Amino acid sequence: MKKPAVVAVLLLLVALSSPAAEKRFTVPIGNSPSTGPENAPVMIIEFIDFQ
Amino acid sequence: MAAGPVVKKVMDAYKGKVRLVIKNYPYRYRDYSRNAAEASLAAREQGKYWEMHDLLIKNSPKFERASLISYAKELGLDVKKFTESIDTQKFKLEIDADLKLATDMDLYNTPTFYINGRQVVGERPFEYFKKIIDEELKTRK
Repeated sequence: MKKPAVVAVLLLLVALSSPAAEKRFTVPIGNSPSTGPENAPVMIIEFIDFQ
Repeated sequence: MAAGPVVKKVMDAYKGKVRLVIKNYPYRYRDYSRNAAEASLAAREQGKYWEMHDLLIKNSPKFERASLISYAKELGLDVKKFTESIDTQKFKLEIDADLKLATDMDLYNTPTFYINGRQVVGERPFEYFKKIIDEELKTRK
């Protein structure tokens, strides 16, 4: 493989693995059950089916 | 599925730093999952949501009516009120709203997590959550 091609692939890999490029979803909390402080720096929303 | 033990470990390890919100997505084995969701919200009405949540995960998938009532008894709930609630599907609209949300978001698996909006599909080890949460805590300092 030629060098520019290798560089391009590496750049693509870096871009894909970068957390900054990751999509962030907006999920409305509504009146759902919750635990932990309301102003916590990290919020985890879990969709479950108990099965 | 619900990732009970791993989520518990996350909440213990990051006490005070993480808020956990539960959405019901009873999309498979529809009836039984729905029963479980109804039972969890019926227990919530009596201030015992998380206790029931844990019991349901522990006893999954035994969600027929008699089992749910026995869990309510075990938690010391007002059994009459609890039974009425599940029999009338008192929280149907709330569960439907969660289902619609999940459908609109094109979810296809449970558990699915959103950690500050970052999607995590399926059960994962503690270390997987730790990595993401540590990144989030770092960027929010």
